[in-house]
Amino acid sequence: MYNPELLFIFFSFFIAAIICLLSKNRAVIEASSIIASFVALVGSVMIALQVAHSGEYAPFSLFSVDALGAIVMLIIAFVGITAALYSVKYLQQETAEHIIGSSGVTHLHSRVREYFILFNLFMATMFLAITVSSPIFAWICIEATTLSSAFLISFYNKPSATEGAWKYLIINSVGILLGFFGTLLYFSSANSFISNGLVTWHLLLANITSLDPLIIKVAFIFVFIGYGTKVGFVPMHTWKPDAYSKTPAPIGALFSGALLPVAFAVILKFKMITDAAVGPSFSQNLFIIFGLLSVAVASAIIFVSANYKRLLAYSSIENAGMMALGFGFGGIGIFAAMLHMIYHSFIKSALFFLSGNLLLKYHSTKIAMVRGIINVIPATAALFLAGFLIVTGAPPFGIFFTKIFILSAGIKQYPLVVIAIIVCMTILFIGFLKHTTAMVFGPAPDGIKKQQENIWLLLPPLALIILALCLSFYIPPFLRTLINYVTMYY
Amino acid sequence: MNILFSQFLLQIFFLTIVFLHISKKNFDVVWAYGIQSFIIVLLLFNSFLETQRTSLLLITLLVLIIKVILAPGFFTRLVKKNKLIFSASTYLNIPVTLIILALLTAIAHSNTFAPLTTIIPANKILLSLALSSMFLSLFLTINSKSALSQIISILSLENSIVAFAIFAGLEQSFSLQIGILFDISVWLFISTVFVSMIYKHFGSLDVISMKKLID
Repeated sequence: MYNPELLFIFFSFFIAAIICLLSKNRAVIEASSIIASFVALVGSVMIALQVAHSGEYAPFSLFSVDALGAIVMLIIAFVGITAALYSVKYLQQETAEHIIGSSGVTHLHSRVREYFILFNLFMATMFLAITVSSPIFAWICIEATTLSSAFLISFYNKPSATEGAWKYLIINSVGILLGFFGTLLYFSSANSFISNGLVTWHLLLANITSLDPLIIKVAFIFVFIGYGTKVGFVPMHTWKPDAYSKTPAPIGALFSGALLPVAFAVILKFKMITDAAVGPSFSQNLFIIFGLLSVAVASAIIFVSANYKRLLAYSSIENAGMMALGFGFGGIGIFAAMLHMIYHSFIKSALFFLSGNLLLKYHSTKIAMVRGIINVIPATAALFLAGFLIVTGAPPFGIFFTKIFILSAGIKQYPLVVIAIIVCMTILFIGFLKHTTAMVFGPAPDGIKKQQENIWLLLPPLALIILALCLSFYIPPFLRTLINYVTMYY
Repeated sequence: MNILFSQFLLQIFFLTIVFLHISKKNFDVVWAYGIQSFIIVLLLFNSFLETQRTSLLLITLLVLIIKVILAPGFFTRLVKKNKLIFSASTYLNIPVTLIILALLTAIAHSNTFAPLTTIIPANKILLSLALSSMFLSLFLTINSKSALSQIISILSLENSIVAFAIFAGLEQSFSLQIGILFDISVWLFISTVFVSMIYKHFGSLDVISMKKLID
């Protein structure tokens, strides 16, 4: 049977990138990017339905999508379409405020064009990374995400943005090279079949008996550190706060909401192979160590954070840590970690969009400079408050339940780890609450007046928050099936 | 190729990385990288002679063009254009740097990494040397003060991984070769653009001058 969905997704982004490159009309550039993201959303939903029905979607030998891939595709697609919609109005507002395009109309056109070309390429590389059937091509695509997004971090062309982008480029390139070395080691264990053609995830798994367990352990450490750099696990996280705080808000949403799950999924694919070769305890211990470290460090830093974009970056690190703990604890923890990944992507993306609204109004990312949001931009304030409650795990939202399930999965075997996590979560909640209440309430700074909020800057975060809320109380059967598959195989 | 000659080439490769740590002149750094890349070309060409795979010859030619000719050419022009003759210094002084390099080399040759260096038992020494080169390149990324040296350290890390792959018998996988080439070509282009941006914003390639993220 001919399945063109995946091709539609890739072609739509590449065609959109070409249109952005060739067109001088801003509306055409914006529309092509939105249409590409919409095609990706429709394609992803169709693929997810097929995977839920038949277990796998593999239209060509070079591509295959399993349950994990289908879930991550859905995440990228939902975050992507909202980011595309938000980007249009956000860049228009930045243009109106002379934040971009200050050197004239030609400069403005080239900046907007550059943004959307890179946006579409970034989206395409993320979809490619999660759908390719070969670990080497997955590595190439992950590297391509770094290269396509580096210029998005330096988009504002300020010294601090260039510095953040440089840090991102260097740290991630080193990380990805270590990941490449780890991948190579998996191949070295499978020397007998690598020269016969494309080495796929399936082929590595099928030849599991030929893999040397000792080499596989070392290889997984390299892969974990390599792709873990992209996820942002502590101590490889140092690029994250800088990059997130300097990049345009919609790109921050893509980083946290879409790129993080993609890199995480690649680690999980290697975990599956490693577990089959050496048993699950080795990889689980790594997940627990890095998960605990990430939650602990992020919670402590969030408490003293002075910049709300960096605050969101550290919150992403904490949530990545929670997901790692879920996979480390196993069982119900994996089911909860997958749900956590979905909730976190939607809510964190929404929070990044809202941080864009704050930046447009207050022209500062410093928490001390942002006061009285509720009096100035009340809708943004309400959504920001809701997003804060959801992402920190306040009941009755989904993240509350996923955190409870993750901790309950580990309480019997790792009671000390669970206690440490509960302490960290308390610190994190207090820290986040302290900053959020300070920003939302109180008198607004002089010169900041109440103004009508643009509906297009509110709809994307609102849609994601509603989606996360709905998924907190009702998981569609196909999604439940997909998560069950992941729990079974990973 | 005789194993002793391979070892000799790899030793020169290793020494170029040691040299990258102690060199102060950007031109010397670029030259050292060029020599290092040429050694990789020789090793790849030898693999082609042994296997007679046309794809390996193609890769060897591409590596020669990109890594030995284009990349050093790019960097030399950049250094000349911006008159950046001396900026390749390190955070740690030379004696401390050399002590750390010795330690890293010892670690790579230790039993901890024996599973990796015995992938092909006959190439144990070569694989240990390639692994040492990887560690030294990684350390160079951390120890470099110059953005140019940081770029070269990453390219050197990538060269070391290729050397490891050659002696582990993995250079024949076509997808691996494509991966490596993709990385070199695109990465080189982007990092070069970034170096120009850094120079434009900070008036220097010294990463110490980058302090704008503190706020």
